[in-house]
Amino acid sequence: MSETVDIHAPDVEVKKSCCYFCHQNCGVLAYVKDGKVIKIEGDPTHPTNQGGLCCRGNIALLHLDHPARINHPLKRTGAKGENKWEKIPWDVAIAEIAEKLNQIKAESGAEAVATAGGTLRTDDWSRRRFMNMFGSPNGFHNALLCWIPTFMMETAVGGWSPFETDLATSRCVILWGFNPGSSAMPGMRGYSDLRKAGLKIIVVDPRYSETAAHADLWLPLRPGSDTALALAMIWVIIYEGHHDKEFVENWCTGFEELEDHIFEYNPEWAAEQTWLDPELIRQAARMYAQNTPGNIQWGCTADQLGKTAGAGMHARAILRALTGNLDRPGGDLMPGPSMYYVTDEELEGNDWLPEEQKAKQIGSDKFKLTSWPGYQRIADVSREVWGKAPTAEWMCEAHGPSVFKAILTGDPYQIRAMIISATNPVNSYGDAKMVLEALKQLEFLVVCEYWMTPAALYADYVMPIAGALERPIVHNNYGVTDSLITSQRAIQPLYERHTDYNFWRDLALATGQDPDQWPWETLEEAFYYVIYSFNSSGYQFSSYDEFVEKYRMFYPPLHYYKYGNNGFATPSRKVELKSSILEELGYPSLPTWIGPAENEVDDPEVAAEYPLVLTTGGGFMPYHHSEQFNIESVRFLKSDPYFTINPKKAAELGIKEGDWCWIETRRGRIRQRANVEPSVDTRVIYCQRGWWYPERQEDTGAEPFGCLESNVNVLTSVDDEHCDPIGGSWANRGLLCKVYKVSYWDETDTSYSIPGSASEPGVSVPPSEQKLAYEPIPYDPKPTFEVPEGLTWDKDTKLAWDIERGLAYDPNSGWLYHPETLIYYDLVTKYAYDPETETLIDEATGQRYSMETREPIGEGEAVKTTAAEAVAAEELAAKEAAAAEAAAEAVIITPTDIERGEQS
Amino acid sequence: MTRYAMVMDQRRCIGCQSCTVACRTWNELPMDIIYNPVVSEGVLGEFPEVHQTFTPLICMHCDNPPCTICCPCKASQQDEDGIVWVDETKCMGCKVCVNSCPYGARDVNHDEGFVRKCTFCKDRVREGEQPYCVATCHQKARIFGDLDDPESDVSKLVNRLVTERFFEELGTDPQVYYIPDLGGVK
Repeated sequence: MSETVDIHAPDVEVKKSCCYFCHQNCGVLAYVKDGKVIKIEGDPTHPTNQGGLCCRGNIALLHLDHPARINHPLKRTGAKGENKWEKIPWDVAIAEIAEKLNQIKAESGAEAVATAGGTLRTDDWSRRRFMNMFGSPNGFHNALLCWIPTFMMETAVGGWSPFETDLATSRCVILWGFNPGSSAMPGMRGYSDLRKAGLKIIVVDPRYSETAAHADLWLPLRPGSDTALALAMIWVIIYEGHHDKEFVENWCTGFEELEDHIFEYNPEWAAEQTWLDPELIRQAARMYAQNTPGNIQWGCTADQLGKTAGAGMHARAILRALTGNLDRPGGDLMPGPSMYYVTDEELEGNDWLPEEQKAKQIGSDKFKLTSWPGYQRIADVSREVWGKAPTAEWMCEAHGPSVFKAILTGDPYQIRAMIISATNPVNSYGDAKMVLEALKQLEFLVVCEYWMTPAALYADYVMPIAGALERPIVHNNYGVTDSLITSQRAIQPLYERHTDYNFWRDLALATGQDPDQWPWETLEEAFYYVIYSFNSSGYQFSSYDEFVEKYRMFYPPLHYYKYGNNGFATPSRKVELKSSILEELGYPSLPTWIGPAENEVDDPEVAAEYPLVLTTGGGFMPYHHSEQFNIESVRFLKSDPYFTINPKKAAELGIKEGDWCWIETRRGRIRQRANVEPSVDTRVIYCQRGWWYPERQEDTGAEPFGCLESNVNVLTSVDDEHCDPIGGSWANRGLLCKVYKVSYWDETDTSYSIPGSASEPGVSVPPSEQKLAYEPIPYDPKPTFEVPEGLTWDKDTKLAWDIERGLAYDPNSGWLYHPETLIYYDLVTKYAYDPETETLIDEATGQRYSMETREPIGEGEAVKTTAAEAVAAEELAAKEAAAAEAAAEAVIITPTDIERGEQS
Repeated sequence: MTRYAMVMDQRRCIGCQSCTVACRTWNELPMDIIYNPVVSEGVLGEFPEVHQTFTPLICMHCDNPPCTICCPCKASQQDEDGIVWVDETKCMGCKVCVNSCPYGARDVNHDEGFVRKCTFCKDRVREGEQPYCVATCHQKARIFGDLDDPESDVSKLVNRLVTERFFEELGTDPQVYYIPDLGGVK
């Protein structure tokens, strides 16, 4: 205990807050006296951290009132980027922003307004809700680099991403490009404990990481070649017969096709791509497949491989299924959406966004799995099986880099305004030079921030946002799991800071959105609405804060083998190793190898000039993405950026420990200092990401705060041909580079230009003319039955139609039917079937015919002729009633809901 | 009797330096004072046969502390439970103890003119809590307790496993025990 503060004094309140500096959301006890937080410490009773806190968690108090924090709304008074501001009241800022947004919407359509978000630092269902009601489909995050394509791929293949690992009874786990030792501290403790108890740990990482140091098997592969490794592991498992035959037989489709397809991807083939010994690949595949139940832990590598990413994610989804590890004790659990509380998707109000606006989503014509076309397909199936859909925020977004390109080119249309919340895109999105240029050229920019970042510098308005201790937090894994952990705010926001939820709500009301759809004035009220149904399952609380204090978390009973009830949430209700959803979207339905964005096999000329392989994606302590660089108590641990180079290569290049060096790719160059260490292969360079220099507050020139100087995203590419055509992610790993020492003579150069081949920031090829890594495969499903003569096959509905009369063919019965009235018609005579009298009726004349002989029966009985019509009318009435009911449900928040929420 | 001691489990330490930052914020230390740095020789060996060990350092709270014997004003002292601390009201900042400590565990607070050092968070410990660096360690690589209590984790670890201590040959009898990365059962 500090000598100056007594946390046990009677007037000190203890608040159950949590850390907000990474995704773990470790529990924090905040000691509050007279409305001030006097001390914080890790919460020993929190299930995640059990009292532990890392460097970032421990500086929460320094973050709370740091002198560089933005505390009031700022309005630009000078030119863009001049760093001249005036403080204005919150309400005035909101009103002015709303007026401008409404003006742009009236002039150019709602889609001209885009928003960008950060990574789980906000309640972005409220942003989505705002955007849906505003009418713009162009919200996005850096989601494509962070698990979201994997989630969508695994959901397309298996019905839900099996991301919750049941490690306590697992026998083997693969940590694939996942380094909890520097990105998930509490997780790392768990792995150390479990390994001691016998869990086998396989680590796939090109670098000897904190986690690799604790592995049973470490696969130091070529950066970016993960897909080849996954394919070869499938080969070993299938051809050595390690797969779970019973599960594959009963619950998987497409195994035979996969078996044939995978034949060429043997370990010897993969050895060339991955630089791994084929025996090591075999050993890893056997260890994983023979030690079941086992897991593949989620990690972001698969998402950050660029054009090869889609196949890699698909292959990993197949590995989970082949080993029968899905949703079994000790395996990869599929929680599904929560049936117990209101999910993020239900809060987003996606029904408000009109279809024609969905179609305008930037990038949805190219990268379909993670935008409306793929999401809609997956959400429909998911609703049929689970009853609810995955979160649309994150899973169904505009393609971020394409939005920045649209700002610069007006292609496919001009983006005129952008609201950025909790992200610094200059550091976190690919092709930083292009992004910075886009922000400079953007007509209207609003940034919600803690700090003055390079992005905020170009804003018209900067809005001060409340941090961890100033806001309640619900942790529910992007809204796609069925449990949640809650935390309360320690204090009300300081100064004029507001939560991001209040920003979106205030802006929504100011732009004229219906206040009835924004009934919750505070986040606590909104969260109470989310969880109030727990009251009916044994919990007793009358406010959100009371829930936090009494229960804090909600874990529903754990059910394994949920697929036994309704099957997997795929079109065939089985795990589709050969994915029909991918096929429909125009992608290879089986994982098909395509080399990384740049590689020595496909691009020997590039490799001749840039002989080293670069990886930029790894997180490192003490920073999270581009955060905390401005907090002295953390920064002193790593005050300069370092890249890692093998001692042999360093000696060859004359580089010594600590030397400032240029790292250059075809796109540009950055400087970092050399960390000469044998933790990487001689051909590999590992760069630290996120670097900018907030201490250079005076440096507001072309490259403010040194934001390009050491920024790895100067080196990455977001050209469409380098992106994964399936999910749209770009490559952070496996790029080709060269390294050389910074010399006296180029000290004065702008850091990012390349002498001799200086490329100006911007977009050289208009987005609509950019090619994808591979062309979409036209989806042309063939009929699985014989189409009777006179009928026409339609590939979209996968039905044969009598076009003239609008009747569909049912291949099982051999009859035609009307898709709306569901009345059956005879294939040859086109007479309607009347189930009441079991006769056929010619609807045109009213004449009845015998079912057996097709001969006319008696005289036309006028009363009975209308039987079919009566059925039709009845059907129609029922349909209308159902539609009306559905429409009523579509309005998510009804006044009765709110009342119920308050009363219970 | 109570004899407080700490065990550093180098099998579990991943070098995240959370303890370094945590200690400084909890004890509100100035930027130039660090009670518990984490050091490493870096990654050794030849790729891919490599290895790295992290060593968290702290005041060893020696049983025979040279820093208390040399203190001319009896400010540097040891309590019965083994905790070595400096009475700031008595310390005149002569720095003799700083020089006498073979572990470099003492710093001068130049602003206030006295010597500061780790106290095993004695205020917390005597309230029945763990020192803050122990509580904050996600990896549970730091274990703290009463070495004289046979049921305590520290005494079990020290008695069962191979442990090392720094500069034992100097006769300081340091009370921080290290379980080496590649250690084993006694």
